Amino acid sequence: MMAFPKLLARNRLALGGLIVMGLVVVLALITPLLPLADPDVTNTANRFKRPFSEGALLGTDHLGRDLLSRLLWGTRLSLAVGFTAAIAAATLGAAIGIIAGYYGGRIDNIIMRGVDMLMAFPYILLALAIVAALGPGLMNALIAVAAVNIPFFARNIRGITVGIAHKEFIDAARLSGMTDARIILTEVLPNVVPVIVIAISTTIGWMILETAGLSFLGLGSQPPQADLGSMLGEARSALITNPHTSVVPGAMILIIVMAINLLGDGVRDALDPRLKSGALSRPMPTTMVKRTMPVPEAKAETLLALRGLKTQFQVKDRVYKAVGGVDLQVNPGECLGLIGESGSGKSVAALSIMGLVASPPGVITGGAVYYRGEDLIDAPYEKLRSLRGNRIAYIFQDPLATLHPLYTVGDQLIEAVRAHHPFNKTEARAHAIDLLKSVRIPNAEQRVDSYPHEMSGGMRQRVGIAMALANDPEIIIADEPTTALDVTVQAQILSLLDDLRRERGLAIIFITHDFGVVAQVCDRVAVMYAGRIVEEGPTRTILNAPAHPYTARLMACVPELGQGRRELAAIQGLPPVVDKMPKGCAFAERCNKASDACRQANIELVRHGANSLVRCISPETSALEASE
Amino acid sequence: MAGYILKRLISALPVLFGISIIVFVIMAMIPGDPATAILGSYATPENVEKLKRDLGLDKPMMQRYFIWLGNMLQGDFGRSFSLNRSVLDEVLDRFGATLILAGTSFVLCSILGIAAGVVSAARQYGLADRAITFAVLLGISIPSFFLGMMMILIFAVKLRWFPVSGMWPIYGARDLYALISHLTLPALSLAVVATGVIARLSRSAMLEVLRQDFIRTARAKGVHERSVIWRHALRAAMVSIIPVLGVQAGFVLSGAVYIEMVFQWPGVGRMLVDAILKRDILLVQGGVVFVAACYVIFNITVDVAQSLLDPRIKT
Ligand code: SF4
Repeated sequence: MMAFPKLLARNRLALGGLIVMGLVVVLALITPLLPLADPDVTNTANRFKRPFSEGALLGTDHLGRDLLSRLLWGTRLSLAVGFTAAIAAATLGAAIGIIAGYYGGRIDNIIMRGVDMLMAFPYILLALAIVAALGPGLMNALIAVAAVNIPFFARNIRGITVGIAHKEFIDAARLSGMTDARIILTEVLPNVVPVIVIAISTTIGWMILETAGLSFLGLGSQPPQADLGSMLGEARSALITNPHTSVVPGAMILIIVMAINLLGDGVRDALDPRLKSGALSRPMPTTMVKRTMPVPEAKAETLLALRGLKTQFQVKDRVYKAVGGVDLQVNPGECLGLIGESGSGKSVAALSIMGLVASPPGVITGGAVYYRGEDLIDAPYEKLRSLRGNRIAYIFQDPLATLHPLYTVGDQLIEAVRAHHPFNKTEARAHAIDLLKSVRIPNAEQRVDSYPHEMSGGMRQRVGIAMALANDPEIIIADEPTTALDVTVQAQILSLLDDLRRERGLAIIFITHDFGVVAQVCDRVAVMYAGRIVEEGPTRTILNAPAHPYTARLMACVPELGQGRRELAAIQGLPPVVDKMPKGCAFAERCNKASDACRQANIELVRHGANSLVRCISPETSALEASE
Repeated sequence: MAGYILKRLISALPVLFGISIIVFVIMAMIPGDPATAILGSYATPENVEKLKRDLGLDKPMMQRYFIWLGNMLQGDFGRSFSLNRSVLDEVLDRFGATLILAGTSFVLCSILGIAAGVVSAARQYGLADRAITFAVLLGISIPSFFLGMMMILIFAVKLRWFPVSGMWPIYGARDLYALISHLTLPALSLAVVATGVIARLSRSAMLEVLRQDFIRTARAKGVHERSVIWRHALRAAMVSIIPVLGVQAGFVLSGAVYIEMVFQWPGVGRMLVDAILKRDILLVQGGVVFVAACYVIFNITVDVAQSLLDPRIKT
């Protein structure tokens, strides 16, 4: 709460609103002390004087009354009425809300029914009905405006109170024999007051506007007394001949309400944690690229090669190095496993390939991704788009979240095809059904019209795979495609992927944290830790004789068959926080072979045995063992 | 679907019933004696007594309520003494004009508001976003009645593009062209505030949706960014925008009262204000109940639209 004024001050617009509002309030307060003409003295000889004429800074109205004086007195009245209405509505609404929320049950039910009914009215009808009953007049307008806003407060405060009423300290107070009234006053009220204050600050502009509106209609303040609304209402008949009499009060209402809104927005932004964390910023169509270092050359002609890829998350002034220089390559028809704990950067590396890392906050800061010798990192959007889903396709983890909930799976498949091929709708639909069949979905003809929520998890993931296959890609990047599924379904999906790979000669990058899965489908495997590859080699070699201590530990955690699943986090300790990377080996803190040498300098990824690489100065195996 | 609509209609019955009770109770709070109010303070006591009997005011409250409700259900909303006309006829006439004004405004603010919100979200922190954000702030801060007056001043008086007020020309054909030229300024003035509110909410709904995984999926498929925004994101965001549209419809209907005053539009809002100033209670009562009932029905339509959009809602 201490930081709040500071936050507000940082938001210049809100500060502007605060200053303007402060000025208006001060002016309204000191109005009686200012040397102003009497606002109600008429002088028809002087009617409709223009602004800046002598003796009347803002001119005079249709009865020759000084507009400046009337404006200030009117502002005073409008502010007073607006504030009073807001506070009255808040007090009564909060009382009703607290009672409903605290007692619950029958009382709550009856009260909330009533509130719902009041809210079923367009608010002005209710206000008009009340004014009709009580008769026109400022006080009655105030009552009407306050009354129509009571349901809003009651509903808000009830919600908060219900949350509090079931907390332990309330139960404790009840058990200690406190009366309900005392509990409400001493325990509940202090907890809801901040909410009430915020609700007042967001509605007060509205209340000022509404009372001005009723006065404008002639139902609020009655002559000669005038608030801003009735000034505007009286000026209406002279709008065309003497617009200044309308503009003066109208502009004042605009200034007041705008200042309040600016301030309210500032308060809201300052209190909203999502804005601070950047969680409300939109990801751009492609990941931002800011490469500072020279771009590494493509080595041999391969299908897909990552060279020194670096991806960071930049949140405010902190930098999280999610991927810190990764080299990988996949050949046609090959399945490469990319394994690591969550947070190791494996998904971010995979998403970087097609520029799909959410940005902001993601930024690719170095390296290259070569697809058939062409660097994708600085490729223009249209180039990336034409490859996405076409040559390089993704399968994501949780198909319930990754499929669009409001389109049928058929529509989504058809769209995937039509993004790259000029099929007409009928052709595309036939193709969609074929795709569903190819991933062994029964009743494909009917299933094509289902929504994702109507399918089982396994079926949904088959749809996800069908979607990836839609354009016969060369490479599929599968990001934990089986993690959300149970074991039998997982096995089915894996064998499906394996078959498809063999049938179509697909290259697959398979991201997982599960060595069991790797053993089943991957030819080669790369182990990632803290944003870098720590070991890479043929699956057989690594499974039989892991060289990096981290890999060895990961494998020790792999469940025996039929023993259920254990989490990888079973390794002691935590990976380093990626914005504070140690100088030497990132695994040193958790490694029981760690020595001083490990912490001195960067450890390089070096050849180990015939086909493997390892990033460790004292590997678990000798190079000879690794070659076998 | 038909079953769902029926279910929603039935669930609206208690609300309609509640509305009639609320209106009746408010009107029963009137201090003094409606009969005297109608006849004026110079009426003879005999006349007042007679009118009271005619109006049924000598009966107990409960009975009066049910008589009133029963009459309304048969389409008898009573007679307006100030207009010497059946309340229902008058309300129906006026409501048509309000519906044209508020309906046009509602369509305008929905389309403009959503479009502005989507563009704003798609270009977050860009020039368009800043411009829209500022325009929105201005829009939600300006009193609609003041805006209407300024519109008259600029577009009707200075530029002479549109007529100053009214719904139809005094002389000349009452054709569509005449209606549109009379409708433009009031409909725009009325739409501004709601446009601002809808734009704001659409923007944040879009930002929320754009971070979801299925947006990334759409991009990974190679769907063009334009479709990602206008098809995938907007469709999903509509789920949270539509309820806001329902609420804003109520605000447009409310704001119509001011706009009808400013532009001399012969709608139900102006009728209500006149009736209040003349203390024509039956007219107020009938008008309020009728409009509130229409609004309840409209909200059912919104719910149905929502269920059509979102297949996850059980119908
Ligand atoms: S370099 Fe040292 S600390 Fe790092 S894994 Fe190897 S032995 Fe352990």
